[in-house]
Amino acid sequence: MAQPPASAPDTPKQAPGPPAESPDGVDLTLIRWTLSLTPLQRLELLQDWVDGLAELRHGRAAER
Amino acid sequence: MDEPRSVKFLGLLRVLLRHGVDFIVVGGVAAQLEGAPILTLDLDVLYDKAPGNIGRLLAALRELKARYRDPAGRRIEPDAEKLQTLRTHLLLTELGALDVLDAIGNGRTYQDLESRAIGYELGELRVRVLDLAAVIESKEQANREKDRAALPVLRQTLAMKTSHGRNEGA
Repeated sequence: MAQPPASAPDTPKQAPGPPAESPDGVDLTLIRWTLSLTPLQRLELLQDWVDGLAELRHGRAAER
Repeated sequence: MDEPRSVKFLGLLRVLLRHGVDFIVVGGVAAQLEGAPILTLDLDVLYDKAPGNIGRLLAALRELKARYRDPAGRRIEPDAEKLQTLRTHLLLTELGALDVLDAIGNGRTYQDLESRAIGYELGELRVRVLDLAAVIESKEQANREKDRAALPVLRQTLAMKTSHGRNEGA
């Protein structure tokens, strides 16, 4: 039986390992990362994001 | 009260727990604790409307210097009657934004969702958190634009948790 070529000229190369993105565009690497954390680490991560946003907002407000 | 720069999730939970409030963490923080990378700027909790719990909740909210987020800038504080009769309390506290809800989605209450809560240990705190499937259901039922926007990440996370048999709850 004929096998498809390892990399046809018009076929995009697939990165090895699990996919980085779902068909609808969700970043699967980020989900894998958060799932690898403990619940407390996930909450601390969220706190870091929120604090970072607040710092940015505060900095921008101070520039005005 | 000075405007807090950002919400302090653990601080809010600590005060609610210290006052013995019966509540379930819902919304974006529940999703994040369940492993979905969702950004949220407030803590949403679903509370039990039993009279004793209303008193404990009110004591916690007073310690937090809670007031309603009023677009007109009026200072309106929660009280027992409002907590007993109103459904949604969008509050600003000295530890940031806290949404205290008596129902979510299509009207599901604390009693409706108690069996869907998972116990999580966050350091010294033990909190009950709505499971991710129920968070998804509540957002599908609420069907606001911001809920619909979060659904692909939530559904993908649930699929990945299910495929790996993950359940971190205690």
